[in-house]
Amino acid sequence: MKRKAFYGIFLFVISAILLVGCSGGTTTSEPTDNGQKDSEKEVDKTLSVAIGADMVSFDIHDHNNTSTEAIHVNMFNYLFKKDANGVVQPELVEEYTIIDELTVEMKLRAGVTFHNGDALTSEDVKFTLERVATDDKLKEYPNYKQIKEVQVVDELTFRVVTHAPEPSLFHRLSRLGSGILPKNYIEENGWDHFLANPVGTGPYQFKEWVRDDHVTLVPFENFYQGKVEEWDEVVFRVIPENSTRVSELLTGGVDIAVNIPPADWERVNSNEGTSIVQEISNRVVMLILRSTEGLPTADPRVRQALDYAIDDGTLANVVLQGGAVPTKTMVGPGNFGHNPELYDNYNYDVEKAKALLAEAGYADGFEITLQSPRGRYLQDAEVAEMIAGMLAAVNVTVKVEFLEWSNFVEMRNANENKEAYLIGLGNSMFDGAYSVDWYRYERHKGHTDYKNDKIEELLAASAVNMNPDERDQQIQEISAIAAEDVPFVTLYQEKINIGVNNNIDFVPTSDEMIYAPSIKRK
Amino acid sequence: MVKYLIRRLLQIIPVLFIISFIVFCLVFVAGDPVALMLPEDASQEDIEQLRESLGLNEPFHIQYFNYMVGLVQLDFGDSFRYNSSALPIVLERLPATLELAAAAMIIAIVIAIPLGIWSATKKNSPVDFLATGGAVLWKAMPNFWLGIMFILLFSVTLGWFPVSGRGDISHLVLPALTLGTGIAAEMTRLIRSSMLEILNQDYIRTAKSKGIRNFFVVNKHAFRNALIPVVTITALQTSTVVGGTLVTETVFSWPGLGQLLIQAVNTRDMAIVQASVFIIAFAVILMNLLADILYKLLDPRIKY
Repeated sequence: MKRKAFYGIFLFVISAILLVGCSGGTTTSEPTDNGQKDSEKEVDKTLSVAIGADMVSFDIHDHNNTSTEAIHVNMFNYLFKKDANGVVQPELVEEYTIIDELTVEMKLRAGVTFHNGDALTSEDVKFTLERVATDDKLKEYPNYKQIKEVQVVDELTFRVVTHAPEPSLFHRLSRLGSGILPKNYIEENGWDHFLANPVGTGPYQFKEWVRDDHVTLVPFENFYQGKVEEWDEVVFRVIPENSTRVSELLTGGVDIAVNIPPADWERVNSNEGTSIVQEISNRVVMLILRSTEGLPTADPRVRQALDYAIDDGTLANVVLQGGAVPTKTMVGPGNFGHNPELYDNYNYDVEKAKALLAEAGYADGFEITLQSPRGRYLQDAEVAEMIAGMLAAVNVTVKVEFLEWSNFVEMRNANENKEAYLIGLGNSMFDGAYSVDWYRYERHKGHTDYKNDKIEELLAASAVNMNPDERDQQIQEISAIAAEDVPFVTLYQEKINIGVNNNIDFVPTSDEMIYAPSIKRK
Repeated sequence: MVKYLIRRLLQIIPVLFIISFIVFCLVFVAGDPVALMLPEDASQEDIEQLRESLGLNEPFHIQYFNYMVGLVQLDFGDSFRYNSSALPIVLERLPATLELAAAAMIIAIVIAIPLGIWSATKKNSPVDFLATGGAVLWKAMPNFWLGIMFILLFSVTLGWFPVSGRGDISHLVLPALTLGTGIAAEMTRLIRSSMLEILNQDYIRTAKSKGIRNFFVVNKHAFRNALIPVVTITALQTSTVVGGTLVTETVFSWPGLGQLLIQAVNTRDMAIVQASVFIIAFAVILMNLLADILYKLLDPRIKY
């Protein structure tokens, strides 16, 4: 009898906890039928997006974080913006004139207002750009230090003056950190107030930020292109753990979940109401080779042999399960200077690789060390091990050395890199000049020690060439030479993998921005 | 008692300083945070420039001196990641962690105390084997895995609870169960062994021989005496709870101190790491002090 009473009390306590737990439920992550949005949610018109890392700050100049920018683009407008084809188009700027190779005059659109009601003027542009161009503590400073000053001509007209000819200026002004800030609002209230109550000119305005939990935005009534009616609220929820993010998508807790790992693609696609959508990212994964004298990889034939021995197609289609496209260039589609012949294309010929090694005097092979991060890029460790296996087929013994990311960064900064290391390089400017600069000798002296006189000449010329057509050709030519000379073995361009509720019409973009006005309900 | 408390409170100060020194050294040797702040293609010049502007190019003793000057004013410096003072950021997350930790401890106590007593009174019975075996098995399951399994079962399959985030009490159930049941597993075994020791004492035998009902012998005479080790165990579990929140908060996207600390370590956000560890150490020391005070209340024979 006593035993039964004890059982009863015990079960009662447990049931009570569970029942209390079940009784609540009004927040955005309430589960609904698998993958289906309930009718209440449609009425709410709330777009819920699961992101992997919290926003860093509302200081648009003091982060270099894509997921932070993916939120900022909804609140701040750039002077220029890339269209769907990657072509830079004016956004806040209505028209512009290149005065000389150091000066561009621009005129702002009339009638653009900040969320606090202040009108956008040239003074705001001067305040914004000169801040990031002069304060070396800001993380975006290296990308804007090329700007010398902004001269205000009148309320809507201003001139951007650079220290030296800057052909990438428009690309710089159409990327991360180039949103325009409200000068008067910040000067009157101070930075701390701005960071807690940010104000921009974008389609959505700030409502709430609970750190490591969520950021909520609401439509801006006086957006210069008209109020966005599609979503009454856009909520970016921070869910660092991959499996949790996937579960939220499957239960309808979120409408969009970024960075879904390949292991979960089948789970998302087989679930009724959810699917994986992919788009090519702007990150190219490659092996950075050391061309230092005395190493086998100093010989271009050896570098070519490594390129021919690695089956980029297998890496992209098998190891990454189709989550990448093989490439022979660092400059992907949508980038200025992209060479289409080198994209979706790769060298693979084991016999040719062996012949090149024999010609270079390494018929019996040699040993190299491949340093690789683990968990930084999609399937990076698996890719490194697969490469080791592929190179073994041409008698190159690869010792794979995995490094935790911070140690990996330190290894690179200390120039302690061995014959090869695996890295994925993005390009937030979408200007190929930014990528091919990696071949510049002075930049990587003591690191890769790669030097090609023709590439050096083209890099020097393109860096100051204000003629876009010529510059485009110069960058393409650099890519073509590199594809032959193989300073680095470019492997593949990663895809962005996003889980989406099928009731949402969302087309991802290479820049990985989540621009709410472009996301529709079906 | 008052003197004892004052002495214990004063002891906290050197302990916190020692902990701060250890954390400072560990963070210092862990490497350069600037390397992680800039993108892959940042030049060495950019890295050096940022390092200098953040004062990270200073030698160890200068950095430690600056850190200590700030510490005595409870200023841990600015977070590199959030670019604002670290302590308010840490304190902002504290309520979420306290909420989760309290719920987990309640669950642990509610499960462990009855189960531990029951298991001890039925020593070597199938019930005892089941309870102790279950406790070992549960303890062996990592929080990380258990949390994901709970999500799959209770959220994805059954749809009973939200998957993640912090909101109403329904959001609390799965993370608290994940953390609480793990602690309960350990506590059950410790309570069982503590109870077994008490149950073999002469005064228990005397009580039984006087004809007092077994229920009262166990729950009044034995349990009261077994409470002192239970209080010790519960206080010691504070550090286990803190360790558990690091994982549990990450799995359930619970915006607490654990998740903040994990991210701070990953990004080498020194100020946040130092402030978080300082607060956690303070909480653990305080819990131990509380346990000492409770001893006195539970057993008047204890004198300080």
